[in-house]
Amino acid sequence: MENSSRKIKVVVAMPGLDCHDRGVIYLSHVLREAGMEVVYLGKFNTPEHIVNTAIEEDADVVAMSYLNDHLYMMFFPKVVELLKERGANDICVMAGGRIIEEDRQKLRDLGITGFFGQSTPTPIMIDHITERVRKERWKSA
Amino acid sequence: MAGKEKIKSTRRFDACPVTETSAGIPLKEVYGPQDLQGIDYQADVADPGEYPFTRGIWNNMYRGKLWTRRVFTGLGSTADTNARYKYLLGKGASGLYCFGDTITHQGIDPDHPLAHGYAGVSGVSIVCLQDMYDLFDGISLEDVSVSFNNPSMAATIVYSAFIAYAQDMGYDLKKISGSILNEPIHLVYSMFETNAKPLDLAAKLATDVIEYSIKNTPRWHPIAPNAYDMHEKGANAVQEMAFTIAIMEEYIQRMVKRGYDIDEFAPRVNVFGCACDIDFFEEICKFRAARKVWAKLMKEKYGAKKPSSGRLYLSVHTSGNSLTVQQPVNNVARVTLESLACVLGGLQSFDPAGYDEGYYILTEHSALTSLNIHNILAYESRVASVADPLAGSYFIESLTDKMEKEMFKIINKIDEMGGAIKATESGWIGKEMESELIKEQKEIEEKKRIIVGMNEFVVSKEEEVPIEVGRDRPLEEQMATSKKREDEIKKLREMRDNGKVKSALEDLRNEAGKGEGYNLVPFMMESLRVKATLGEILGVIRLANGTSYDPYKVLQYPF
Repeated sequence: MENSSRKIKVVVAMPGLDCHDRGVIYLSHVLREAGMEVVYLGKFNTPEHIVNTAIEEDADVVAMSYLNDHLYMMFFPKVVELLKERGANDICVMAGGRIIEEDRQKLRDLGITGFFGQSTPTPIMIDHITERVRKERWKSA
Repeated sequence: MAGKEKIKSTRRFDACPVTETSAGIPLKEVYGPQDLQGIDYQADVADPGEYPFTRGIWNNMYRGKLWTRRVFTGLGSTADTNARYKYLLGKGASGLYCFGDTITHQGIDPDHPLAHGYAGVSGVSIVCLQDMYDLFDGISLEDVSVSFNNPSMAATIVYSAFIAYAQDMGYDLKKISGSILNEPIHLVYSMFETNAKPLDLAAKLATDVIEYSIKNTPRWHPIAPNAYDMHEKGANAVQEMAFTIAIMEEYIQRMVKRGYDIDEFAPRVNVFGCACDIDFFEEICKFRAARKVWAKLMKEKYGAKKPSSGRLYLSVHTSGNSLTVQQPVNNVARVTLESLACVLGGLQSFDPAGYDEGYYILTEHSALTSLNIHNILAYESRVASVADPLAGSYFIESLTDKMEKEMFKIINKIDEMGGAIKATESGWIGKEMESELIKEQKEIEEKKRIIVGMNEFVVSKEEEVPIEVGRDRPLEEQMATSKKREDEIKKLREMRDNGKVKSALEDLRNEAGKGEGYNLVPFMMESLRVKATLGEILGVIRLANGTSYDPYKVLQYPF
């Protein structure tokens, strides 16, 4: 029971060299206000660093954002792969930013959810995170 | 019809809900003569072309010369960009715009491990002197102005490469005109801070470009601080200008320390690259107020005597943040409104964003639309025919005055903190911007700021008017482009005379260790001429200043 009421911990990060971080700055603020714990990595992270942090911090969620170009299709799957390798597939991976429609199914198949963008109201993001973490905790309880 | 539900307007009695500007300055319902109290025409406003240049920097403004009509350009390869340049020049563009790719901004080469996949992505890759030959092939540099959007330490090298190219091609350097962004301090808040640190070194290199340029390329603007990025990361209209002016003071003071008289260089370091957002009147007043603040500062604080030292040239990229991915065609209306504010604000140059900016780099079609927004304003609408047509409006003059005072408050505060570098390192400027950003996003969520098609007047995907937008290249294609560039640079390293490269880099490294008064531009030009790369040149300068060769600490100095 204690497990399911623990504060939700989210690692917020941008992989690669994308510099459009307006969204993650605001998201981190909103998640904190909603009572979650945020580990803010900001810009310029390698997938390895994101995964290491998520594991060390015992995070529930890795929330990544990417807008600049198409390399997210390299970074996001890499994060999932590394988490799996390290036996940490209970960490929920979410992605947002500018994820084009055609790529979303591929990412969903890897277990990545979210795909929030510029106009997504933040309560929807908060609900999504809360709901996914609740299910994940129930599964592993 | 009986029995059928009729559609009623739910908005028939809507009133304008806005009671303050975007920056939070309260707005009255009506302005009148009483709002001009304390504003003296001669001292505070004055005719266009007269100090303090509130009404514009030239007496006849656009009758003398229209603003420079640029369109955002910066495509994958140098050859692609060159082709786009020729296309735009053929369609009436009067200036060229060069946006570097992500890794050029980062100051790393395409064969750096972290650059994998990034070369030529969302901008053009500039690494070596040969790139200038490819970019400007078949274009006469004496007859066009070129604006480089390179903000980081890499700007020093891009400038050096451009000048080395111009010199080697036999152009008269005195006739080369254009500008380079070349302002790294703001990067701490906005984009690629890794290549802006250490700040002191970054500011030193930027100052080298200023110093070299005023002596050798007198028509060039060697620094054009990027107010735009600060705005897009949260700074409101007042902060945007105040922070930028405070940052510029760092360079002014460095030049004074190097022994230059303010009037020797101020007329060349007076170009700002700003944003123009959707708050129409506030943006116009922002431009008017900023000119006034700059003129007063130059005269009263730095003792400038030449009128040209007080003339602030303003240039704009209309705000990308104000645009939506929903119904991109609506962005044409937004960009037109913002562009009109640029004209009424008396700007010297601007580039209207592409309606598809939210998607990717402009397509040929959206670039042409942006160019035609220029053409419609300049040649069709008649808005450019009278200098500062809004002057004398109770509202405009009162808001200009208010914004000027607010800007000075911030500038003085930063001065008390010891200048912009100190206020940056202490995190003060960053915090101010972040809280503005959060406030703005909250207002969007709460619909206190309406964005049509995004948080209000939303239509379904099916109802959207289909329109061609810039598209990401598929991942494989992006990787292939980057790989090609990576291979080119690897080949360059194999083919060149590495003995010569080493010796040029060692000379540069030696000079770079001597400190503030030793200008590195000639040494960078020599390194570029023997085919040294951007990453190598920055690397040895970093080494000479006691930091790692590679900003990401992955690579070692190869020689």
